[in-house]
Amino acid sequence: MPDTAIDLPDWQTLQRALPGLTAKLDAYRQTFLQLEQIPPLTLVLCRCRMAQLHGLEAVSQDDLQAGVAQDKLANLGQWPSHDAFSDDERAALAFTEVYTMDPSAITDAHADAVKAAYGEAGLVALIHALGLFYAEIRTRLIWKTP
Amino acid sequence: MSKSRISMPDGFTPTGHVLRDSPIAHIPTAMEALVTLYPAVWFDGPLSPAELEMVRLRNAHAVGCVYCKAARYDIAREDGLDEDKVALISRATPDSDLSAREQLILAYTDAYLNDPESLAEDVKQALLAELGTEGVAHLAIALGIFNGTSRGAVAFGGMPEEDLPVIPMAVPV
Repeated sequence: MPDTAIDLPDWQTLQRALPGLTAKLDAYRQTFLQLEQIPPLTLVLCRCRMAQLHGLEAVSQDDLQAGVAQDKLANLGQWPSHDAFSDDERAALAFTEVYTMDPSAITDAHADAVKAAYGEAGLVALIHALGLFYAEIRTRLIWKTP
Repeated sequence: MSKSRISMPDGFTPTGHVLRDSPIAHIPTAMEALVTLYPAVWFDGPLSPAELEMVRLRNAHAVGCVYCKAARYDIAREDGLDEDKVALISRATPDSDLSAREQLILAYTDAYLNDPESLAEDVKQALLAELGTEGVAHLAIALGIFNGTSRGAVAFGGMPEEDLPVIPMAVPV
């Protein structure tokens, strides 16, 4: 262990230490905000739900600015039954919950429901976006970054 | 083996590039960004190829991605990561056969995989002292990408049920 304590940085500070790689990661992340295959606002809902499942505050200022309906964010924990959510969004949120807990528990029925809503390309986009969200949420937890 | 949940896009022609020939071919903009990002994970940071491969394999075992567990990147082998070392990494609890630096890297990896809030402050201090902020950022980004791709591979289905023989690979560029 070091003799002298270092102030622990947050995740944003750490990323700034490696700007080249961070820029490429940001460029990859940005592609998911501009997809035709699955609405970006649906992906935001999935990220918020994943954050909830990690015990985090689900909604950030970025989420509000992204334009997700407030009643969806406020009732995200009740997505299976709340009428604010469409069947397509429910398919994506159900997939998100199982992915978060254990991707090997995903069934063909989970995947088929997402494909019925958003097509095969939509399922691919969702899976890759969830990988990014999962990494960001867990890294922020390690570095205690809101 | 279960059936893959995704077929390749209509008119798809294999390229020989492991990422371009994967389901992400359905979303070309994201594919091009990932094709740029993935080699940068290996080459645009201070951690060595052997250290990165250690993280990737530790993650692969935790996630249960059979393909990821079998893959061996050539640059990591050239950097000294042999199968004896891989066996050490695969143990449930890394022990003193690994260097202090390697144990710190695996402690971070295990915390991310199992319980991110469990990583003790003194371990974070030690990581920063050992790797510097650049090294810690490199570790965090690399682990996030390795974890996302292996969780994705499992989610896409079609994973073999038994372990595969070692598959030597080059980092796709």
